[in-house]
Amino acid sequence: MKKRLWIFALVILLISSGIIGCSQPAAPPAGGEEGEASEEPKFDGEILLGIMVPVTGSEATYGKDMENAMKIAADEINAEGGILGKEIKFTLGDDGCDPQMCTAAASKLVSSEVVAVLGGYCSGATIPALKIYGDAKIPFVITAANSTQIIDENPGWAFMINSPGYHQADAASGCFEKLGVEKLAFVHQGDGFSENLAELTRDEWKKRGHEVVAYDVVNKGEQDFSSLVTKIRSSGAEGVYWTAYHADGALLIKQLRQGGYTGEITVADGSSSVQLLEIAGTAGEGVYCTSPPVVDFLPAAKQFSSAYSTKYGSEPGPYAGLAYDGVYLMADAIKRAGKIDPDAIRDALQATDNLETLSGTIAFTPENVLEESNFIIIRGEGGKWVLVD
Amino acid sequence: MSLQEIIIQQVVNGLLLGSFYGLVALGYSMVYGIVKLLNFAHADVYMVGGFCSLTFLTLFKDTFLGNGWAGIVAAMLVSMVIVGLLGVIIERIAYKPLREAPRLSLLITALGVSMILYNSVMVVTGGEYRAYKTGLGFQGISIGSVFITHTQLILTVAAVALMFILHLFITRTMYGKAMRAISMDLDCCRLMGVNCNKIIALTFFVGTALAASAGTMAGVYYGSLHFFMGFAIGIKAFTAAVIGGIGIIPGAMLGGLLLGLLESFGTQIPFIGSEWKDVFSFSILIIILIFKPTGLLGKKESERM
Repeated sequence: MKKRLWIFALVILLISSGIIGCSQPAAPPAGGEEGEASEEPKFDGEILLGIMVPVTGSEATYGKDMENAMKIAADEINAEGGILGKEIKFTLGDDGCDPQMCTAAASKLVSSEVVAVLGGYCSGATIPALKIYGDAKIPFVITAANSTQIIDENPGWAFMINSPGYHQADAASGCFEKLGVEKLAFVHQGDGFSENLAELTRDEWKKRGHEVVAYDVVNKGEQDFSSLVTKIRSSGAEGVYWTAYHADGALLIKQLRQGGYTGEITVADGSSSVQLLEIAGTAGEGVYCTSPPVVDFLPAAKQFSSAYSTKYGSEPGPYAGLAYDGVYLMADAIKRAGKIDPDAIRDALQATDNLETLSGTIAFTPENVLEESNFIIIRGEGGKWVLVD
Repeated sequence: MSLQEIIIQQVVNGLLLGSFYGLVALGYSMVYGIVKLLNFAHADVYMVGGFCSLTFLTLFKDTFLGNGWAGIVAAMLVSMVIVGLLGVIIERIAYKPLREAPRLSLLITALGVSMILYNSVMVVTGGEYRAYKTGLGFQGISIGSVFITHTQLILTVAAVALMFILHLFITRTMYGKAMRAISMDLDCCRLMGVNCNKIIALTFFVGTALAASAGTMAGVYYGSLHFFMGFAIGIKAFTAAVIGGIGIIPGAMLGGLLLGLLESFGTQIPFIGSEWKDVFSFSILIIILIFKPTGLLGKKESERM
């Protein structure tokens, strides 16, 4: 009898923990869709643009955020009279950050006869769409995904406005050169992303004629880096570049300072979270970070940020700025094309002539990649990231 | 840094890391010694200990305790008691009913307890990393270019002191004597009038309290906590216990320190880089086990298994 009681108690415990576990992530409150009544300007027809972002699944918050940012840009453009006198309208395709859903979303957008498509957050769920849009002759502005694989698979109709990885290697090398570092140590975490970035930056650093004194990896989940810190110190490194993520990055920064390392530390975009500074505490002061153009750090984006928070009641996320820029880029291209014709719009996009946007200047290489890196350098000051120029 | 300085610095690093491993290994070893159970939940108890002391520290940081050493010591003691009781409860609910069951059932139960613990913490913390904020700075002692922070020094001394107190407890008190006796023959002890249930509960209390102290120290030293932080150290501490001779208290301490030192030096080996440090330290451990299968301090036993 007693035994049964225990088993019963355990079952109750398991069930209740299951319930707690399930009832956790509430969907983020949907932003006011098309709240305001449209204003005075009369339009001569409309231009239908597709948005392809994940609004369900694990990356839903980022996708929703990008969609919101695009709507703000469209509202602004429409208030100015639209493009060629036509009103911008959006239709959504949910890629769910999943290659299969992406294919479905892309087909849906194609059959809705959109003029062009904006979006693409997960690289894996962007690549399958490249061919679909290419075959349908629909220009596609990719506002977040930045895998180099996109460049390889691009049939010519896609344009990336987020810098690919090798731009970050440039940005990091430039940052260290500015700091007067000669001997550099690299630490990554052995996963595809951080190792690739460490390799790219190492090669770039060597190409620029500097010295690489240590190239190391830490195992995921490990907490103690003290022996690595000693190794870095003994190598005489003047700078350390951490290419992986914020939680372990904070540990490394803290232990570097604890271990008596006094040189420069720079972390990569995976570590641009404020949590890094929070965990690292005082050790995070003066740490540099190569970050994508997040609106929080861009002075030019103040107006956009406040418009966003008044409309949606939350702060814009990491890729909101680029999504906003994407709409302006598209509007600019359609205006220059002068007509709604896929080939003309594509040529106009390709010919984009140093368009000034929130996150930087847009001009494309023949591969439809940004000509100039849009990475920015930020620095930890008083527990916050601050833009360095 | 000269070679000498590098060696000294790595010894210091290894000793601190090793004393963490040692503290956690003690819990594995004590429990194994008494009930022949590989308590997989032990690593998660370490993690819970860290969170427990962080909660206390956050609650009381504005009182006279502050978030300096006074607050940390208080938080550590509170967390040791709470988590020690948690250990006793786990034993009572999950392990005691299975004491006569085959060993494998017990092992699987331990895995289950481990999952319940870390998943509960994951739900409570939302799977996020939590910053362990203390008022400690980075001041320290430097000899040449060897650098040791005060925090490192105090934590190492504290860990070694705890191990020493445990050693005295096991060898000098009646309870310790009873523990040793039970590890030799449980049924015989019962016949001799030893309250075995009480002693086993006490063992779990002491073992888990030590893990909680290690969890607190890890929080203080590394500055962040995570629900899965027990996993990596759990494997290392278990290895340390086996190397020293599982079930043998000084063996766990020795094993922990040895593993810590091996890892430190494994990082420094030229050309191969720190990604190979685990391969290096575990290769040496395998070699040790080939020559001494019962561990460094283990005795030959013919009847077990």
